[in-house]
Amino acid sequence: MHMLSTALLALRSLSAGIWVIVALVVVSFVALSFSSRERTASLEMWMFSPEHLAMYDPVLEDREAADELDLHVSLMSIAALKSRMMSGFFGGLDTADLIEVERATVGQAFMGPVDAIGFRDLTSRLRDEGLLDTFNPPSLSPWSVDGRVFGLPHDVHPVMLAYRADLVEAAGIDLQQATTWQEFFALLQPVMTDADGDGKPDRYALSMWVTQQDNIELLLMQGGGALFAADGSPTVDSARNAALLAEIVSWCAGPNRVVTDVDEFSAAGHQDRINGVAIAYLCPDWMCSVWRMHVPQIGGKMKLMPLPAFEPGGRRTSVRGGTMLGFPRTSKNFDRAWEIAMLLYNSPEIARTLYKEVDIITPVQSLWSDPVYDEPDPFFMGQAKGRMFIELAPDVPVRTSSPYNQNAVLEFRDAAVNLLNWANTNGVDEPDALREQAQQLLHIAQKNVARQMARNVFTGVE
Amino acid sequence: MSQPRFRIRILALHAFLLGLALLVLVPFTWMFIASLKSQEDFFSGMFFPPGDGAFGIAWDKLTWGNYKELFNLGFERAFLNSVFYSSTSAVFATLFAAATGYVLAKIDFRGRKFLTVLVLSALVIPPTLLIAPSYELLYRLGMLDTAWGLLLPTLSPTFGAFLFRQAVKQSVPDELLEAARIDGCSELSIFFVVVLPLVRPMIGAFMLITFLGMWNNFISPQIVLQSEAKQPLSVAIAQLRGVYRTDYGLLMAATVVSVAPVALLFLMLQKQFISGLTSGAVKG
Repeated sequence: MHMLSTALLALRSLSAGIWVIVALVVVSFVALSFSSRERTASLEMWMFSPEHLAMYDPVLEDREAADELDLHVSLMSIAALKSRMMSGFFGGLDTADLIEVERATVGQAFMGPVDAIGFRDLTSRLRDEGLLDTFNPPSLSPWSVDGRVFGLPHDVHPVMLAYRADLVEAAGIDLQQATTWQEFFALLQPVMTDADGDGKPDRYALSMWVTQQDNIELLLMQGGGALFAADGSPTVDSARNAALLAEIVSWCAGPNRVVTDVDEFSAAGHQDRINGVAIAYLCPDWMCSVWRMHVPQIGGKMKLMPLPAFEPGGRRTSVRGGTMLGFPRTSKNFDRAWEIAMLLYNSPEIARTLYKEVDIITPVQSLWSDPVYDEPDPFFMGQAKGRMFIELAPDVPVRTSSPYNQNAVLEFRDAAVNLLNWANTNGVDEPDALREQAQQLLHIAQKNVARQMARNVFTGVE
Repeated sequence: MSQPRFRIRILALHAFLLGLALLVLVPFTWMFIASLKSQEDFFSGMFFPPGDGAFGIAWDKLTWGNYKELFNLGFERAFLNSVFYSSTSAVFATLFAAATGYVLAKIDFRGRKFLTVLVLSALVIPPTLLIAPSYELLYRLGMLDTAWGLLLPTLSPTFGAFLFRQAVKQSVPDELLEAARIDGCSELSIFFVVVLPLVRPMIGAFMLITFLGMWNNFISPQIVLQSEAKQPLSVAIAQLRGVYRTDYGLLMAATVVSVAPVALLFLMLQKQFISGLTSGAVKG
């Protein structure tokens, strides 16, 4: 006691600023002690999409009123969700009972041995309840590791080609005839004119560029390329990938290039879309709602068609993006969480709202008979857009769940950028002439991906 | 030099300094005005949204809505956390660093030289290198996602220990310590009654440095803390950024809330801060 009083006596000579900091310790400690925000609901759900939450809210409220469902939903940014989820998994800490997570975010969670993945293995539960076959089969692939399913798919996200039908039809072209990319570009040649005489076409056939890694990846998958084998080993430098890379880059190369870079989400890109700088766009189902919201000016001028294939008879669609609902192993009430998941992911009402509000089709095949998908969409000149996407859904490519997919996609994109530079420097724009250089660049990309993977003690590759 | 010419020089100098001060204030002004803009108007003008009001500004489009939204998001909790972590770390790190510095400077014991070299050599290890081992240690101690897990590693900073060692060496004469011992003062009393008051400028300066360091610390809380209720402002602000969409007005409001208190604190402690940093600079 004497010591304390002596110390206080001596410290009284310290400045007011120092005492303010000391006071802050006491005040903040007391305030935090009294404003403790501990988890009170019996179930916790984390999600990143306000649009999804708006759809779930009415259903959850009904349920809460009916049987006292005690669920707390936390809406957070994707970055926040990723960092909290991963630190929870790494540190063995409590997370949530349900987590809705996007494909680009979930990869890291699949790193390491399958038995140590932070999400619960749902395979046997899905099989026991006869649910495994209810989902569109390829839509389970991004959430599956070694044949085990770790998440319920929220969507399918098939890709079609959306084009400015007003411009195309005014030129007397029937673009729906195009079944291959070659035919597509040939048909649109008459529209790619240089009316203003600046030496460049006023319009390009397609919006796509080597820097748009998401579009590059979807084209690669459409053409049957793959960055990883089924066992998770990298296949970046496969002959098929090299052929596709050469083909895609040839669209961008030389004075007669047929594609242009219209930004997908910026105001400048939307203005280009209105001006018809590109005739056609790679369009996953969710993109329709982005356009509806941000570029209503092109409504009633667009039409959809299946993607032209790389070869006759080839795949006419691809896939981009995706969300899953997972159940962390730390969930204390899995059965209750499962009930909520079934309510949200198997509900015809939510599936209908999902389509009506954000144009996304459900992966639950039994719900595809809903007439809402047959309704004509005025934005796309009365086409039954939902049905068109559904018809392509079973054919979307199977995707990898490799935690290194993002690395591989970026390496592939870099190879595409380098190949384009090489093509322009050497005046080469034929796919066959680009193939050898493409192969060499992909060898480098393969090495880079393998080096990253080798750092993982669980999945190291030579 | 004649009086009027001297005044003109002083005036010119002040005008120049005022210009520089205004230049420094530009980004802060921009940030504050941006925090009053809605998402729709954010890019509509460099500073103010253009409109038909006075000076061609749409005054009616400026809103406190972003600040209200911050509190709807529970930012007051993150603010309190930041205040707690920063002030606790500042007070205790200063106390422990001062005690360590005093011991290394004035107490004779076996291995003192070795310990001093050890403290010095710890200074050359980049903090980034310690992230992984610290995480592993906290994991094994079961201290992840706890306030202690964040605070404990900051409580005995090597930089602070060395700083106080130098301050004690320069400001505390051995004769004074001997006199205190002859008068029957215990070592602890000597530390509190004799040493601390003599290194007062360094206490203010170091406290401020530690407070600011913890306030702006992003990496450690991002790694150690997982629960939303425990996160400080730095992490909460970073988490406002979306992948596909970011509400910049909200982000700027959060940044204002984060910057204003430390600016105020610096104004309060600036004398100590400057005297602490320059103490010993003119000693002959």
